[in-house]
Amino acid sequence: MSRAREQEFRLAAERGDTPLLPGERVWGFWGYAYANSALAVATWVFLIGGATALFVGPLQGIAAIIIGNIIGVVLAASSTCLPCGKYGVEQFTFLRSMFGVNGSRLVYILSVVILTMGWLAVLGLMCGRALDNLETLVQHSEPDAGDWLVTAGALLAIVLAALVAMRGPDMIRRLSAVIAPSLILIMLALMYFISRRYSFGELLAMPPLQPPFENPHVNFMIAVEINIAAGFSWWPYIGNLSRLCSNQRTAFWPNLVGIFGAASLGESVSLFAATTLGSSDPTAWMRLAGGMTFGVIALSFLALANLTGMVNILYTAVIGLRQLAGERLRSLGWGVLIGLFCIIPVVIVLLAPGIYDGFFIFLVWTSALNSALAGIGIADYFFLRKQRLNLRHLYAEQSGSPLRFCKGFNPIALLALVAGFAIYVVVFNPQTLAHTDFFTFATASLPSCLLAGLVHYGLTRLLATRLGWGGYPKGNESTIEAAGLRVQD
Amino acid sequence: MNSQVDTERAQDLERRLRAYEELEGRAHWPGALKATDVIALAVLTLVMVVGAYVLGGQP
Repeated sequence: MSRAREQEFRLAAERGDTPLLPGERVWGFWGYAYANSALAVATWVFLIGGATALFVGPLQGIAAIIIGNIIGVVLAASSTCLPCGKYGVEQFTFLRSMFGVNGSRLVYILSVVILTMGWLAVLGLMCGRALDNLETLVQHSEPDAGDWLVTAGALLAIVLAALVAMRGPDMIRRLSAVIAPSLILIMLALMYFISRRYSFGELLAMPPLQPPFENPHVNFMIAVEINIAAGFSWWPYIGNLSRLCSNQRTAFWPNLVGIFGAASLGESVSLFAATTLGSSDPTAWMRLAGGMTFGVIALSFLALANLTGMVNILYTAVIGLRQLAGERLRSLGWGVLIGLFCIIPVVIVLLAPGIYDGFFIFLVWTSALNSALAGIGIADYFFLRKQRLNLRHLYAEQSGSPLRFCKGFNPIALLALVAGFAIYVVVFNPQTLAHTDFFTFATASLPSCLLAGLVHYGLTRLLATRLGWGGYPKGNESTIEAAGLRVQD
Repeated sequence: MNSQVDTERAQDLERRLRAYEELEGRAHWPGALKATDVIALAVLTLVMVVGAYVLGGQP
């Protein structure tokens, strides 16, 4: 095999076509911790911290941020980083082991495509709001959320994000390298301005912005749920990052530094900013916190940071879509695919701009899905397969693989997903915030994760082994034999 | 399988799959999460959840 060909196959492995070998992986502990922190400290931490401030004051808010994020991150990382970090497989290729080839495509569309489209609209609108606040600052006028400038700015941001994504990863890397440090500087500046006005005791005693219920414990649990949703929202992305880590431990622990630790710090700063400045909208804080000069610089950076985040998620989602799509979609030009992907975010910006102010509703809806997916992942990988995968099944032709299930879909995993989603909405409705008493001590994500896992485990034990689906071990059969893991001569 | 590239691609995949099968056959998988990691994670999570609730979660 020629050297050029070896390089080509190595690149294909990096993109997810084949498993990455341990020696090919690029990140050690600190490398992944930095990348993970840079991913976490993006403009979404401002939004999540601001949303938390609607329900609780800073003291309860910090508790909600810590509790929610640790639960969400640990469950999301356990179900994705541990298997992907062990075997170096692409996350949605790994998901074939529980959902089937077509099932994993469906999960991709539900969890990545829809999530990314929503985020593109939210971040685009945040760009629009940043421009509107800039205009307000410069012209000393009143901000107007319904202004044409917000819509035009959002549409412009989506178009720019699409154009940059079409240029490829080099431009994205260059933009990303400056954004995380800039946002940290903005956060430090925000804390400086806040601490000049209030003592720490006064800060902690601030009231919430708009608590929807009289019972403060219910408001606190909703804040916890929003932050669990924030932790779970990494589920579609972190598996593919962790496969680049040198081993399983390196693929797991840095998540607690980045998407838990750094994100929690960023959200806490945002929480202080929201409660002291009286708004959950981050673009308003930049205008109000430190005067004209700081406002102009911070709002400009905020718009640029949003644009970078949009490019990142757009590029990643479309790469994955091509990976999983059939030949027809793959034959479309890269630019055409990016353009088509942006149509729905544009429609959301035009028809439902309220998604920005009700951002936490969108976030919590995604948790109804992600928590169930994490539960199924944990049940399948840890309890049914005992942490052993047969990679040959994952990469085999569908017709000859036990992972073909039923026409490429595993009905058991899909049923478990529906069950998890349904119990979530019954326990806590993200749209109306209606909840049962059970929610006030158990949250909605945890029951959803648990029920989805139990349904998947129970029905798989009961039916899948009899039907020959999935290559699961039967009874006392050792997992290594069931998975067919014997080195061939 | 209709070209030299396809054959070489299949060989590359085979090489990768065998590497993992060999690792699976060993008693020790380098860098795998151990029982101590799991215990440490459980304790950390519990301390975070209970500690945060006791210190700031109660109204």
